[in-house]
Amino acid sequence: MGLIARRLAQLVVVVILSTLFAFALLRLFPGDAADAVIPYGTAAQKAKFRADTGLDQPFFQQYATWLGNLAQGDFGKDYQSNTPVADKLQTALPVSLQLMLYAQIMALVVAIPLGVLTAYRAGTKSDRAINAGAFALLALPSFVLALALAYWVGVKWHPDIPLLGQVPVSGYEPGWLEAVFGAPTGDLGKHFATMLLPSVALAAGLVAVYMRLLRSDMIATLQENYITMARSKGLSDGHILWRHALRPSSLTLLTVAGLNFGTLVGGAVAVEVIFQIPGIGTLIYQAINARQLVELQSYIAIIAIGYVLINFVIDALYVVLDPRIRRARA
Amino acid sequence: MSSAIVSTRLRARLGAAVLAVASATAVLVGVAPSASAASSPKPGGSVTYGLEAETGGGWCPKNAQLAISGIEVGAAIYDTLVVPNTKGQIVPYLAKSIEHSADYKTWTVTLRDGIKFHDGEALDAAAVVQNIEAYRSSPLIGAALQDVDTVTATSPSVVTITTKVPWVAFDWFLYLDGRMLIEAPAQLTSPDCASDLIGTGPFKLDHWTVNQELVAVKNPDYWQKDSKGQKLPYLDKITFKPVAEAGQRVNSLQGKTLDIIHTSDGQQVDAIEQQASNYNLLKEQPGRREVRYYLMNVKDAPLNDANARKAVALAIDRNQINQLRNDGIFTVANGPFDSDVPGYLKNTGYPKYNLAQAKKLASAYKAAHGGQFSVVLEHTNDPANTAEAELIKEQLAKAGIDSTLKQDDQTAFIAAAVGGNFSILLWRNHPGDDPDVNYQWWQDGSILNFGKFVDPQMQTLLDQGRSETDPAKRKQIYQQVNKQFATQLYNVWAYYAQWVVAAQKNVQGLMGPPLPDGGGQPLFLYGRHPLLGIYVTK
Amino acid sequence: MPAPDGDPMPDDPTRAEPTRADPMPGLVGEATRGRPIDAGTIEMAAVETGPEVRRLRKKGLGIAAWLSIGWIALVVGLAILAPVLPLDDPKASITDIARRGPFADAGSAPGHLLGGDFNGRDMLSRLIWGGRTTLLVATSAVIIGFVLGGILGLLGGYFRGKVDVVVSLLLDVFLAIPAVILALALVTILRTQPGTSGGGLDPEVALILALGLVSIPVLGRITRASTLSWSQREFVLAARAQGAKHRRILWREVLPNVLPAMMSIALLGIAVAIVSEGTLAILGASVETDTPTWGNMIAIGRINLQRAPHIVFEPALMIFFTVLALNMLGDVVRSKLDVREGAL
Repeated sequence: MGLIARRLAQLVVVVILSTLFAFALLRLFPGDAADAVIPYGTAAQKAKFRADTGLDQPFFQQYATWLGNLAQGDFGKDYQSNTPVADKLQTALPVSLQLMLYAQIMALVVAIPLGVLTAYRAGTKSDRAINAGAFALLALPSFVLALALAYWVGVKWHPDIPLLGQVPVSGYEPGWLEAVFGAPTGDLGKHFATMLLPSVALAAGLVAVYMRLLRSDMIATLQENYITMARSKGLSDGHILWRHALRPSSLTLLTVAGLNFGTLVGGAVAVEVIFQIPGIGTLIYQAINARQLVELQSYIAIIAIGYVLINFVIDALYVVLDPRIRRARA
Repeated sequence: MSSAIVSTRLRARLGAAVLAVASATAVLVGVAPSASAASSPKPGGSVTYGLEAETGGGWCPKNAQLAISGIEVGAAIYDTLVVPNTKGQIVPYLAKSIEHSADYKTWTVTLRDGIKFHDGEALDAAAVVQNIEAYRSSPLIGAALQDVDTVTATSPSVVTITTKVPWVAFDWFLYLDGRMLIEAPAQLTSPDCASDLIGTGPFKLDHWTVNQELVAVKNPDYWQKDSKGQKLPYLDKITFKPVAEAGQRVNSLQGKTLDIIHTSDGQQVDAIEQQASNYNLLKEQPGRREVRYYLMNVKDAPLNDANARKAVALAIDRNQINQLRNDGIFTVANGPFDSDVPGYLKNTGYPKYNLAQAKKLASAYKAAHGGQFSVVLEHTNDPANTAEAELIKEQLAKAGIDSTLKQDDQTAFIAAAVGGNFSILLWRNHPGDDPDVNYQWWQDGSILNFGKFVDPQMQTLLDQGRSETDPAKRKQIYQQVNKQFATQLYNVWAYYAQWVVAAQKNVQGLMGPPLPDGGGQPLFLYGRHPLLGIYVTK
Repeated sequence: MPAPDGDPMPDDPTRAEPTRADPMPGLVGEATRGRPIDAGTIEMAAVETGPEVRRLRKKGLGIAAWLSIGWIALVVGLAILAPVLPLDDPKASITDIARRGPFADAGSAPGHLLGGDFNGRDMLSRLIWGGRTTLLVATSAVIIGFVLGGILGLLGGYFRGKVDVVVSLLLDVFLAIPAVILALALVTILRTQPGTSGGGLDPEVALILALGLVSIPVLGRITRASTLSWSQREFVLAARAQGAKHRRILWREVLPNVLPAMMSIALLGIAVAIVSEGTLAILGASVETDTPTWGNMIAIGRINLQRAPHIVFEPALMIFFTVLALNMLGDVVRSKLDVREGAL
């Protein structure tokens, strides 16, 4: 219990510090929301706008106000279109989450078997060949892959995939997660068609990372005593690999997959721009350009909170996955 | 009379006459979609329309900043009181008639009966007054309507507008390229005025997910019918999707994930034209095209110096820009007006590209100003504009003028324009409405006069043009305006940009039926085209 | 999340001993402690946990390593020599070669082996000059991260206790905000607004600072982990027992041993910085657009994918091969300079 309380406290501290840091950073932005929202206004109108929205208050007061609002679920407002930020999040968050989910699933589905295989066949030609391929994938930036996919698939190939239909070069069709957020859902086939290329662009780099990390851990695990013992007991290789070795070897993989939350949700903005996927990365990008600091603040807070929460969950999962930690902690 | 008796010469002349009429029509209207079926098109179906941007600011009259994407959505959900036809006349649309007093200071707009907004409320004069007052209070459109004096509902279906000066082309200002949308009072007073779209138009708002899609569904009680008596619109649904890059819009059209797209990007227009047989095209013909130009800040250094401006103008090789940027398919411009607009001149006196002269002027300026001659080329942050700006920078550099490139997103760009924080902006404007519609862009002290030039001669001409009743004299006045631009060089006129709307072969009716009450054919201006007549065949 | 106790790695009983193919002390160990590590560190771990490391340790540098060294030498050499090489002006448009593909000498305007871009500028020249700017930006950024991150990591890993809490907290806070977003925000803040009277930095400098600041957490973390493990070694403890000052110990005992890990990471960091520059270019936050960088060329050229794909793919290939080579070199440096792993 004490452990959980301590972790929670750390969570809160990190969230507050990162949002405070972001807030301080954003205060240094040149130009302000008044210029962006009512560029045609007079100086008096802009002053009134700043007063109405609390932009003229001192730093810590603004931060405290924002934090207080956040705690009550008020994420602020986009002053240009007069929409609450919560509404924008309602449509954008499920987009980013689905993209992240598909990319992760794709990557894991490919990486786990490959990782197990190359660990099992460590040192052989196939192991080296696959690793060489993964090594090359590591060097391929996701935006380059995104453009290449857009070109080959969208322009040259025009595939018509069963159930999905035409794969578009850009654009987004709402999917299923929108239902959880109260946003309108869409045609699932078209949804997956629009998400296919962006997910692949993001997943490729992940595959390389996950595979190699899993391989490394598996190789070490396979040298442990209890594996040798299991083998001497006559258990088949497959059984050993998948039932005994995989779980404790997946710690790094798990950590890394969880940590990619931040990278994939907020940091996928280049892929979002290329494929015109309206996720939270796009919102952040637009908010930065439009100097909507309150809005930006809320987005960063959401990502930071999510990121820290995931770390928390991963910590808890460690105990489940590796009995040795449980024993060590006891 | 049998054909044997009709002489071949007569036949040839007849043929030529028919051909001439046909091409004249084609020239004015572009590719006229043929709804020449014996019966009406089958109602039903839906299309997805790829727009060039999202309208993040919404459609609230008091603060909307609509560009073509917002205007096209407006064409679905709203109607305007008037529209221009292919003869360049403003004809009533939502209004039944529009009349003016002899002195052009009193305008009477009579509304049609029985039209309802999507929420069931009746369209009446009070609602129209509310709309016009809302537009007057907005910073942008308000600047255009500044000479409006009073707006009153003199009867439930008549709105009377008085103006401060005789305003010959005031009816054009009730259109403003499709921005003067008549919205329901419920929307005007709603706190969500920007997103709660309620109009009288052929389609009703179903939902709007920002940055994703805006879906509009058929308005079953729309007030127009087609020539066979069938209710309009034909379509059940239109889905508008913002697709920022023109190339991607074209790709999506090719990949059939979009049914209709629009673009005015030179290279993409070229690409579409090369595949013209695959699509239904609606192409803006020369005559009333908008102009791409480089707007200079005339108030601040260095471009407050006329010779500095001349150096810039002489250094920019517009032919090269047109070649690289538009594959040479657009026309280099020499003034703000295209050939059908009063004020157009074949030869305005705008200087030709002359690098040697530019260099001389530039070094003269530098000699007088401590060796410094630097400008900032500001543009929106899409790759096409960036490429153009880079080319301009290089051309200026050859003349010895230093420039820095600055890219903004749309919001920051407009803020920079209004705030005067720029030296050169890459801008597009001045579609072929009546030339008086450009008044507020060029007026002394206007918020929309981004270059902030103060030119008493120009101002006098603009005021004269506003009130001059003789069309010939009026034409001369605007020709003077044109020449003044060419001598003062407030703007570098680059090229006329044409709009093209491309649709899948089975999507037709892109310009829709003739205008009601014999108003003629609607004009394809500034990329806006009606949606009520679109239908889908197998 | 920071663990206030800050136990050094080798005492952790859950961590399997050196038979694990773990060349990066502390990464996997940290993972089992539930510490957040960032994507950059992970990428780097992924680079170094492959079989390439094993092979390198066994014999001399393999052919892959030599190819990588060769490529880097070529690219760096061209970058340095760019001003004296007989190249076309990278900013001069020649209308005739606009969008001309590579090896498509069409008679008019001969030469231009790699074709022209959308404004008719010579691609070969832009690739070389672009490499110059890209490498300059990436290397400078990593130097900043190296120095500042290194200092933070050393302090936290050596002194532990409260110092480590602060350092770890600092690094963790950075990690909660995605690097791209942070870099974008920093560039926007630091840049000059041309035309306005406000202060600010030249876009290139702003980019270097932003990328540098964003690379601090990665370098800091690795340095810290490495320092943690080295600080517990007998010779360090012995030096302390003899009364040596902290500064001396850090400088003479700890730093030399931590340096290999740091240098390896720095090479990988340059690769990451090159990619980040490309990402920021797509968001409009790289250097002024007519100054070629590999990222800029891709970002502005991407609308030409259909007509002239070489405009995008030539700089993309440059990035790919350079990052590949840097990854390889980072690997090589690690395996050759790390005494501890070699002994096993």
